Amino acid sequence: MAETKYDVIVVGAGAGGGTMTRVLADKGIKVALVEAGPMLDPQRDFKTNKWPHDYGHRGAEEGGKAYFGKGQAYGFMIAASGGWQLEGEPYTTAPGTKFEWFRSRVVGGRTNHYGRMSFRFSDLDMQPYSRDGIGWDWPITYEDLAPWYDRAEEFIGVTGTQEGIRSAPDGKFHAPPEPKAHERLIRAAGGRLGIPFIANRRAVITRSINGRLPCHYCGQCGRGCLTESNYSASQVEIFPAMKTGNVTLITDAMVRKVEVDAQGLARGVVYVDKAARTERRLEGRAVVLAASACETARLMLNSKSSHFPDGIANGSGLVGRYLMDTVGFSLGGILPALENMPRYDTDGFGGAHLYAPWWLWDDHSKLDFPRGYHIEMGGGFRIPSPGSFTAIARQAGYGAEIKRRVRELYGSFVGLSGRGEMIPNNQSYMDIDPDTVDRWGIPVPRFHFSFSDYEWRQARHMERTFRDLIEAAGGTVLGIGNTARERTGIAVPGSIIHEVGTARMGSSPNTSVLNQYCQAHEVPNLFVADGASFVSNPDKNPTLTINALSWRTAEYLSEEMRKGNV
Amino acid sequence: MSDKSGFVRIDTLSRRDALRRIALALTAGGIAGTMRRADGTEVHEQVEQERTLQGEYKVKYFNEHEFKTLERLSELIVPEDEGGPSAREGGAPEFIDLLASENAELAAIFTGGILWLDHRANQSHGHAFAECTAEQQDEMLVSLVEAERTETGPDTEWQTEEHARFSVFGVRKPSDLRRGLVFFDWARRLVVDAYYTSPAGIKDLGFLGNASHSEYRVPGQAIAHVVERGPFRDI
Repeated sequence: MAETKYDVIVVGAGAGGGTMTRVLADKGIKVALVEAGPMLDPQRDFKTNKWPHDYGHRGAEEGGKAYFGKGQAYGFMIAASGGWQLEGEPYTTAPGTKFEWFRSRVVGGRTNHYGRMSFRFSDLDMQPYSRDGIGWDWPITYEDLAPWYDRAEEFIGVTGTQEGIRSAPDGKFHAPPEPKAHERLIRAAGGRLGIPFIANRRAVITRSINGRLPCHYCGQCGRGCLTESNYSASQVEIFPAMKTGNVTLITDAMVRKVEVDAQGLARGVVYVDKAARTERRLEGRAVVLAASACETARLMLNSKSSHFPDGIANGSGLVGRYLMDTVGFSLGGILPALENMPRYDTDGFGGAHLYAPWWLWDDHSKLDFPRGYHIEMGGGFRIPSPGSFTAIARQAGYGAEIKRRVRELYGSFVGLSGRGEMIPNNQSYMDIDPDTVDRWGIPVPRFHFSFSDYEWRQARHMERTFRDLIEAAGGTVLGIGNTARERTGIAVPGSIIHEVGTARMGSSPNTSVLNQYCQAHEVPNLFVADGASFVSNPDKNPTLTINALSWRTAEYLSEEMRKGNV
Repeated sequence: MSDKSGFVRIDTLSRRDALRRIALALTAGGIAGTMRRADGTEVHEQVEQERTLQGEYKVKYFNEHEFKTLERLSELIVPEDEGGPSAREGGAPEFIDLLASENAELAAIFTGGILWLDHRANQSHGHAFAECTAEQQDEMLVSLVEAERTETGPDTEWQTEEHARFSVFGVRKPSDLRRGLVFFDWARRLVVDAYYTSPAGIKDLGFLGNASHSEYRVPGQAIAHVVERGPFRDI
């Protein structure tokens, strides 16, 4: 028997679960928010404004484990709680598959440290099949989603400028900070090549909203922000929602299964209380899965019953299918125009102040790949950390020459990263490994993944474009791409951490798991509020769309509850 | 307030106070943007004050000769010049000792490497490395760097693994210098890291970030520098 009955059980306290919880709690709906990781205490857990020399290990971590590839993913200062491997929580890959799965088990999930790039999908992104006959259309249009982007942007706060670019719809923006010197140089190079660089759109506020302070430009969003000047589901949504008194947060709770009643409706969840190593139950009128695309699909596949022998709401057999990540490719260079640069604070608002949205959206007939990518940028005088000058020192040899070269070259490196759309395919999916369980005895995901020529050709276009940009800016490419890298020239699948699409939405129960409100076709009181619902994975980082869709689903769910349908 | 590493750990409460002051300054300044940089750097001043409480570092792992060798290597690899002190003053020997005390693999790289270096110094000069003259020490490191340039090459694997932060330098051709080259690469890497992450190294770099501002501005002279040296008349 359940210990308590709630209105809605939300599984996962990240972007989707945070938005869901806040919207429902604000309406007076009683929510149990179940999180596999611990509570977050920003004052204790965030390393805002720390220096490497505040630590004896300077950021190389105990015993210098970062030097051996065993440090915290993305560095010691990052706010991630989790990483590429979690002790006692394995996942497996099919022979021939490489897949990296980043999990952040903590209240706020990956939103505590993520890049905060916040781009709207466009009308081109929502109906791609209608346009080029590849992939699938979403069951909703950009017009359906736009009001929810408006709300999400106004609530979480996103920077940007009105540009009128069809592939990158404008939104409700905070004023962006001005571009840095090296970004202006790349923008000028882009101008020569016909690539427009515009103000970056990041979930950072530059004016106070909802009691949150504006950005103070320390450039450390990834460490977590003690002034709440960027979006994290923990500080911006979950903590305020808890003040309503309508949220019961249950941490260190690993959900094993969604249970169904005699009619095949979701009755609640079974979870492992990790501290007590005890199984517990929760009951609710509705269950919302927001555990991240692959955890949500794992949970659905593991939720077997007489009604659903292949996993809950999986009559279509599509749970776990059409897994996508982003096509990632990076290239950097040294720009002589930046050498010996007068020093200034280039930290800014925690990411590049400019980016290039996909600019050839109307030229695909001339390209050998069907979908686009956007360009992100790195550079400037970065805070020194272990490894910052290893390459320069090696090149300089030893002695005074090291110091001279470091002074000269500090801040002259610019990196460009492409983030492109992957077309969903039959070879990329996850299922449950029949032989492996985690430390709680829960069967784990097994990944199968393959990029197609669409992605390889797109990555080669990125490589040519980035080389052209660096050279147009007068620079020299480092780590030159060549034919030998043809099969290693895309970031390892999963490593961009935009994995989505394992329980896609659609209008037909035969070809999709969820309807347009992210409600399971087969289980009307089961919803999904994370990236699992994505039908495609445009070149737009997924979090803002997860926020918008989750908000839309929350409004629909509360209305259905009011009507007595759920 | 020292932790076991011998470095001061910032007291959480005082940091919280300082951050509260930043918050107040930002609230008061707010959109009007009247916050002074000094308010924002409050945290760092406190850190500096607390750091002066740091006591003498007690060597945890290396013996006296090994530590002395590390001190000398730190002075040679990143020497004092007009821009700043040597990596010895930047805390490199202490940094390496701390990590070695916690990591047997790293410790073996350094103890074995120092023995290799001493053996070579004994063969050539009849003294351990630390006892050689500055000219002899320089000559030995120059020959290592020369060998490194002809005998090693980059491992390019890291270019496609975006999350692999630290690249590895592989030895292409085995030779009697192999052991020394691997050691020297480690020594240089850690000495350089220790220096540039130290307050002296940060000053040397001229790093001005990790600060707080009520608005973000790019100085005209930085833009002028790029225009003057770059291919575009206007950026």
